[in-house]
Amino acid sequence: MTIKTRILIPLASLAVSLYVAMAAPLPQAPVKAGPPELYRLRNGLRVVLAEDASLPLVSVVVAYGAGTVRERSGEEGLAYLMENLMFQGSENVSPLQHINFIQKVGGAFNANTTFDKAVFYETLPSNQLALALWLESDRMKSLTTNPFIFARKREELLMEHRRRLATEPYLESFAIFDNLLYPDYAYGHPLIERGDELMTLTEEDLTAFHDAYYVPNNAVLVVVGSIQAARARELVARYFETIPPGPAVPPLPPPRFSQDGEAVMTMREALLPYPGFHFGYRFYPLQTGDKYTLKILEYVLLHGGQSRLNQRLLRKDRTAYYLSGMMEDRGGVPALRVFVTNNNAVMAERCQKALADEIDRLRRDLVPEQELNRAKNLFKRDYYKTRSTFVDRALTLADAAFAGAPVDAGDAELDPYMKVAASSLMTLVNRLCSPRNRAVLNLGAR
Amino acid sequence: MRGIADKTGRRRAAGWLAATVALLAVPGLSQERFRRVPPVPDPRQELRLPAIETATLTNGLTVAAATRPGSRLVTVQLVILAGESHSPERTPGVAALTARMIGRGTKLLSAEEVESMIESLGAEFWVSVEMDYTVLSVEVLEENLDRALLALRFMVLDPQFVDKEVNTVKRVLSYELRDREKDPSFIGRRQLLRTLFKGHPYQVSGYGWDVLKNVTSRDIANFYGRFYRPNNAAFVITGGLDLAGAVRKANQYFGAWVRQPVDRPIPPPPKPNDRERVCFVNMPTLQEAFVFVGNLAMPMTSPDYFPFLVLNQVLGGTMGSRLFMNLRESKQYAYDASSEAQFFHTSGVFWARAVVLPERIYPAVQEIVREMRILAAEKAVTSEIEQAKSFLVGGFPRKFESPEDFALILSQVVALGLGDQHWNRAPESLMLVNTEKVLETAQRYFPAPPVVIVVGNGAWGVEVLKDFNLVEIYDINGNLTMTVRKGVER
Repeated sequence: MTIKTRILIPLASLAVSLYVAMAAPLPQAPVKAGPPELYRLRNGLRVVLAEDASLPLVSVVVAYGAGTVRERSGEEGLAYLMENLMFQGSENVSPLQHINFIQKVGGAFNANTTFDKAVFYETLPSNQLALALWLESDRMKSLTTNPFIFARKREELLMEHRRRLATEPYLESFAIFDNLLYPDYAYGHPLIERGDELMTLTEEDLTAFHDAYYVPNNAVLVVVGSIQAARARELVARYFETIPPGPAVPPLPPPRFSQDGEAVMTMREALLPYPGFHFGYRFYPLQTGDKYTLKILEYVLLHGGQSRLNQRLLRKDRTAYYLSGMMEDRGGVPALRVFVTNNNAVMAERCQKALADEIDRLRRDLVPEQELNRAKNLFKRDYYKTRSTFVDRALTLADAAFAGAPVDAGDAELDPYMKVAASSLMTLVNRLCSPRNRAVLNLGAR
Repeated sequence: MRGIADKTGRRRAAGWLAATVALLAVPGLSQERFRRVPPVPDPRQELRLPAIETATLTNGLTVAAATRPGSRLVTVQLVILAGESHSPERTPGVAALTARMIGRGTKLLSAEEVESMIESLGAEFWVSVEMDYTVLSVEVLEENLDRALLALRFMVLDPQFVDKEVNTVKRVLSYELRDREKDPSFIGRRQLLRTLFKGHPYQVSGYGWDVLKNVTSRDIANFYGRFYRPNNAAFVITGGLDLAGAVRKANQYFGAWVRQPVDRPIPPPPKPNDRERVCFVNMPTLQEAFVFVGNLAMPMTSPDYFPFLVLNQVLGGTMGSRLFMNLRESKQYAYDASSEAQFFHTSGVFWARAVVLPERIYPAVQEIVREMRILAAEKAVTSEIEQAKSFLVGGFPRKFESPEDFALILSQVVALGLGDQHWNRAPESLMLVNTEKVLETAQRYFPAPPVVIVVGNGAWGVEVLKDFNLVEIYDINGNLTMTVRKGVER
C-alpha cells in the first residue's frame, strides 16, 4: 500500500474540531440512492441534488458558463487566470485558505476550464457539506484580489506554462490545431497559448469577467452524496439564495466556419522528438441522432486494442509510434481528433494515408455487427465508470444541467447509443467526413 | 460587449441592487453573520463498508466477496500470492512478465482472440504486480459476467508462453520502464529500495529494463507452475453477488483448477540499516535535485501501523506539515516537501522527499533529518495530531469510491490477511492514536541512520556533495561508478 500526499501551499490555522464535531442532532438515515432533483433559486442559480448513501462523502460542483468562449480578442488567458484566482481569497476566506479548509477535513478538490465552462469541485466527508457550500458561495459572492496576488498568480501561471512548453514539445501544436479545427475565434482559441498573453491582462479585466460571468444566473451547483435532500436544500438556500444575480448573460454565439476545402498546415519545430500529425474532422451541420452515432464511431475507431486505428496504425502497418484520439464538442459542433507520432517522416506520410483509408473504408463498408457490439459494450462500460464516483457523477450532472438535458434520465440515456445501426454510421461518415470539415496539422520536417 | 442585460435581467438586477444598498446602509450588516466564519459540521456519518465474506473451495481456492448493491459493473480479481519479491534473484522481473503474459494467448486462443473476446464483452483486463502478490483483474458489465469468467478461466488456467508473445511483452515492459526512468521520483524510490533491501528478497523489485532480456519463456513457465495454483490464490469479487453466488461462480469456472503443493517463502524482516548512506544517482537532464531521506518501516499488520500513518502525516503529509513549513515556508530550500510510506508483507519503507536547487541539497537533508529527530525526541502538540487524524479519517472513504480502487483494496486485505481493522475499523483505529503513541513510534523508527538518495545532474560536479562525508555515485541503472569523500573523487 502506498500512502501518498502531495503538499503545495502553506497552511493557515484552523481549529481541528471540524471533523469530529458532534454538536448537531443526529439526522435520519439517508436514503440509499435516488434520482437527481433539479431546481432553480430566485437568483437564477440552477441546483441539482442527488442522494447516494453508499459512502459518507459528498461532492460539490460549481460550474460557471465562463470558458474561453467568453474571452474577447486581447483577453486570451483571462478564463484560465480567473479559475486560478478563485483559490486566492474571497471576503471571508483569506488567500489559499480555501484549499486548507478542504484538506483539513480530508477532502480533495480540483478545477478546470474548458471552452464553455469553468468548473470547481470538491469531495469531502458528508457532514462537511455546509463547509463546501460556505466556501463556494463566498467566492461566488465576493472574490477579492489585490495587485500583489494578481501579479504573483499571473507570473506563476506564466512560469508554469513555460516549463510545460519546455518539457512537453507537442503542447503548442495542440493549441495550433484547435485553431485549425475550429476556425472561429471564440471557439478555436486555446486556454493558454504562449503564456505571454497573460501579462497584458489587468485586475480590471478580471473583476469585470467575474462580475459578468461568475454570477448565480450563469452557474450550476451540483451536490451528490450521502445527504438528506431537505437539509441540502436548506443549506443551499442559506448560502446561495441571497447572492445577487449578475446581468443577464447572453447566449453563446453559434460557431461560424468559413472553410471551403481541407485545412492543412505544417508546423516545423526543431525540438519535436518525432514527426507526427494531428488529424481531425468537424461534424457540422448535425442531424437528429448524429451525436449518438458519433460516439459509437469514436469507439469503433479509437477505443480498445481491437479498435480500427489501433489495429491498423499500431499493429498491422506499424506506421505509428504513438496514437491517441477523442471526440470533443464545442458549441454543439463535435469533432474527431487524432494525434499520432511516427518514427520518421516517411512513416508519418504512410500513416496519414492509412488513417484516411480507414475513414474511406467506413464510407464503403458497413461495420460488422460484432464490431459494432464491441464498440457499444465498451461505451456502456465507460458510461457506468464515468458515473462511479460521486464527483464524476456530479460533473456529469453539471454538464447535463448546462446543456439543458434531463438530469434524471438514468439508464434510459443509454438507449439511443445502443440503437445506433451500422447503416447510420456509414451514412454519417459519407455525409460529414468531407474535405471542408477536415483539418490536418503536420508536425516536423516533411 | 460584456454583460449585456436584457430588460428582465436589468429589472431583476436593479431589485437586488436596491436590496443590497439597503443592507449596506445598516452598519455591521454588510453581509449575513453566517458568512463570516466556517460552519459547524453536521454529525459525522460512520463508514459502513460491506462485510468481506470468505470461503474456501475444495481445491484450496479462497473466495472473497464484498457486495456493492446497485453497481452495474462487477470486478473479478484473481489474487496470486506471489509478487515481485518471489522472482528468482537471477531473473528479477519474472513475476511481472508472467502476469503480463496472462491473456497473451491460450492453448486454444491467440492473444488477439483473447483481447477480442474481452473487449466484445465491454470488459477490461489488467494486471497489477505488487511486492508480495499479483492481481489479475477483469471489470465487466454485470450482464456479461459469465462470459468474462469463462475468458478469465482460459487465460489463467490454459496460458501459453510462446517466444513470440514473450518477446512482445518484454519489449512493451522495457518501453514502459524506460518511460518511468525519465521520472526522477521513480529513480529515487527505486534506488532507496535497492539500498535498504540489499541482499533481501524485496531487493529484486528494483530491477531495470536492462535485466528483462535475460528472462526466458521457460523462466516464466516455471514461475507460473510454481505459484499460479488455486491453493495459492484467491477469487475476489465485488458487485451484486453475495458469497454464495461468488462460490457458485468460482466453482463453476475455477473448480477444476488443480491443487499442487506450493513452496512460497515468506520474506524475513530485513536487517535494519546500521549506517547513514548517501547515494547520488546521475540523471543528466535535471535542473533541480530530488532528495529522498528514508528508512525501513513496519508491515501493515504491526501495531505501529496506524500511529505511523499519523506520524507520517505530521512530518510531511499535508501543506501544514513540518517538512513543508520548514523547507518551503521557513528556509525556502524547496518548492515542495513531503513524506510517504509503502508497506509490504513483512516490512515497510518510508521516505521524506524534497525538490531543491543543487546548492540546497546538503542543508535540505540536514533539516529533514532534524525534523525526524525532533519528532522522536518531543511530543507533538495535540492539535497537530488531531489535525493529522482529521485528514486521514476524513479522506479514508474516498479510497473506496471507484470500483477498481475498492477492488484493489479488497485484494490487498485478502492477500495480506489484514482483516477488518484495515477495512471498516480503520477510522476507529486512527482515532485511537494519541500523542504518546506517535512519540513512541517515532522513537522506534526515526533515530536510525537513514539512507539518503539524491537524484541529480552529474554535471553539477562533486562540489554540491562536498559537505557529505561519503557519497556513492550511481548511474541510472544502479551501477556504482565511483565514491566521493568530502567532495573528492576516489
